[in-house]
Amino acid sequence: MPRLPPTLFWQARRLISPLAPLILPVCRDLETTSNELRWIRDHVKSHPSPIPSKLRIWQLVDKRSNGTPLQYVLGTQPFGSLEILCRKGVLIPRHCTESYTLYLSTLISSSSPSPIKVLDLCTGTGCIPLLLTFLLPSATATAIDTSPISISLAKQNFLHNFSSLPPSSNMTFTQNDIFSPLSLPSSPDILTANPPYISSSLFQSTQTTRSVRHFEPKLALVPGDHLKQKAIEYNCRLEDVFYARILEIAREIAAKRVLLEVAGWEQAVRVVEMIEGKEYGTVGIWKDEVYGATHIVEETQIGRRKIKVIGEGEARAVYLSRI
Amino acid sequence: MLAASWVCRSCARSVGRAGFSSTFLRRASTAKPALNLPPALFERARILAAEHDQLSAKLADDFDAKLGERLGEISRVAVAFKQYEKAKAALSELEGLLKSNDPEMRELAQEDMKDTHTQLADSSRELSVALTPKHPFADMPCLIEVVPGPGGTEGRYFADTVFKMYQLYCENKGFRSRIIKYESSDSIGSKGSEGEIALQEAVLEVMDVGSYAHFRGEAGMHRVQRVPATETKGRTHTSAVAVWVLPAFPEESTSSAESQWDNPESDFYIDPKEVKSEKMRASGAGGQHVNKTESAIRLTHIPTGITVSMQDSRSQHTNRENAWKLLRSRIAQKRREEREDVARQLRSSVLAQSQLTRGDKIRTYNYGQDRCTDHRAGVDFHNLPDVLRGGPTLAKVIEAAQAHFTERDIQALIADEEAAATAAAGKSKNGK
Repeated sequence: MPRLPPTLFWQARRLISPLAPLILPVCRDLETTSNELRWIRDHVKSHPSPIPSKLRIWQLVDKRSNGTPLQYVLGTQPFGSLEILCRKGVLIPRHCTESYTLYLSTLISSSSPSPIKVLDLCTGTGCIPLLLTFLLPSATATAIDTSPISISLAKQNFLHNFSSLPPSSNMTFTQNDIFSPLSLPSSPDILTANPPYISSSLFQSTQTTRSVRHFEPKLALVPGDHLKQKAIEYNCRLEDVFYARILEIAREIAAKRVLLEVAGWEQAVRVVEMIEGKEYGTVGIWKDEVYGATHIVEETQIGRRKIKVIGEGEARAVYLSRI
Repeated sequence: MLAASWVCRSCARSVGRAGFSSTFLRRASTAKPALNLPPALFERARILAAEHDQLSAKLADDFDAKLGERLGEISRVAVAFKQYEKAKAALSELEGLLKSNDPEMRELAQEDMKDTHTQLADSSRELSVALTPKHPFADMPCLIEVVPGPGGTEGRYFADTVFKMYQLYCENKGFRSRIIKYESSDSIGSKGSEGEIALQEAVLEVMDVGSYAHFRGEAGMHRVQRVPATETKGRTHTSAVAVWVLPAFPEESTSSAESQWDNPESDFYIDPKEVKSEKMRASGAGGQHVNKTESAIRLTHIPTGITVSMQDSRSQHTNRENAWKLLRSRIAQKRREEREDVARQLRSSVLAQSQLTRGDKIRTYNYGQDRCTDHRAGVDFHNLPDVLRGGPTLAKVIEAAQAHFTERDIQALIADEEAAATAAAGKSKNGK
């Protein structure tokens, strides 16, 4: 990371607030600093407490200044029209995940009118199935994660966002390892997953930012060494092992559509090459910014498949559909 | 006569003032002119009233949604026309009575005469208002955009004051409003004399249907004359704030073509291909590798070069939706203005001079004199603190501006009708 010039600190102090120089090293520029400080102030204002608000602001700024992600500091992250609770030990929902989930919901709502079944693997905070059930009110969803912290947080998120509704049975959360034998709902309309996909070498490099490396759970980011044997069985790289397993599950339960988040173009190509058989007639690659950029479409060919590439930015998700 | 033989001058003055409210109106230039409806307009009203009767008779038998809609459109004209006819009939009856031989009768008629005249004037005004074509955006919610004019921080502080004024006004009036954008300029820490911040740009959405018609007259340059907090020598400064009122696309979509933004016919329609969307900072691998808090969105409409940027919310989704909303409103307003410009050039009358363009100042807030002046209506209001608090005085200012707009629309309509009538007359003469 390049060194910040001292003038920037003076400016932050003079133009924004005496607190600004504290979080400038993690925010890196004045605009982000002033935004984050404003969001911290808004958070304190909207959550009344007997503790004086100046002290609370200082506490939050102090927490943020050691590099803790703002989402863990404030405890939430907006996701579509939902507010997702975030806690240490569970991956924070990303903007690109939000973008492709929104686009997916428009795709589904325009094509299938009947109640749909959603299955989400490696759910984390539960953001994907929660937003889908919110946008498609007739949907039922099943969410699975291997971490008990994730599952309890996902349940909390359900109550947090759907508290007006009775605790209905249209969402179920199960703690399970997807490499163990599973009992899953058959033929879901959509199977989504945001599995760990960072290779251990990339995780050590500067490509992965410090705040992610130090504060977010490695379990949700990098496939663990205990899966090396599985990778050899599936004959794939360790970082792709989750995709091999999920595609196997998709084939077993005959999922109608599959959406997998990937790290970039190379991994997207490897995932497309992993697809066996001819069940999935449509294969697409969605980029970072897909919702609202659906008119940017390119066609390419990978192997014998014709691929539609939608959106702009880095390649972010692989979409398979039987229809 | 006064009981006292003399009265001290200042006491006499205070007696004179007792009846005056604090809002002293200078109405000299805005006295309602006597209205003479041109015969062509009158004829049109007659036809519409006849159609109204016919339609209501038809609808009594069986209901038809389309006919019902048409009936609603013209009912105001029909009602006003009937009232006008009634007043006219009453007037002629009274005139008959005036000629009668009974002196008592004549006296009574004379008394009634005045009332009937005002009734006639009112109903003819109402009729002309009803005949004025409604502004196509009149039924829409609106966005009020406040941007400081060129100049120092003083204008920016006042921009914040103006923004707060409209916000409070909405609260007082019971309009549902929402801040879409509230961006301060670089010197965020510094505060004005009354705790206002240096505003860069702010947008307030008023969600009530029909608020566009309500706030339409607020658009233009608002000028402030006061001694800024930073001034050491006590000099009064003049700075300006621009306020734009844009039509907003209503959230509960209705069926009319104007309010459906995905309809290419609508003013609100934007082809997504013509918009370049960029997240302000794109960098690195993205995905799980980074955890960005930046949620800023910038949209550029390529054909017109209009740019909208939004970074208020932590949610990128909210920022994107608000940015699209603002972009759509700006483009709809621009299209409308272009069309109005064309129409204005066709209308070669005195009215062309009274039309204000975007750059003209419409209002002055003078702190030293405790005065708020609307330059179009030519009205002064005092009690400036109440105006800036969005209180009843501001309501009066807005009403005055609205009255001015209605007046102008009527004048335009009459001028158009007269022009059309003379053109038609000229044609028929040539025909002979």
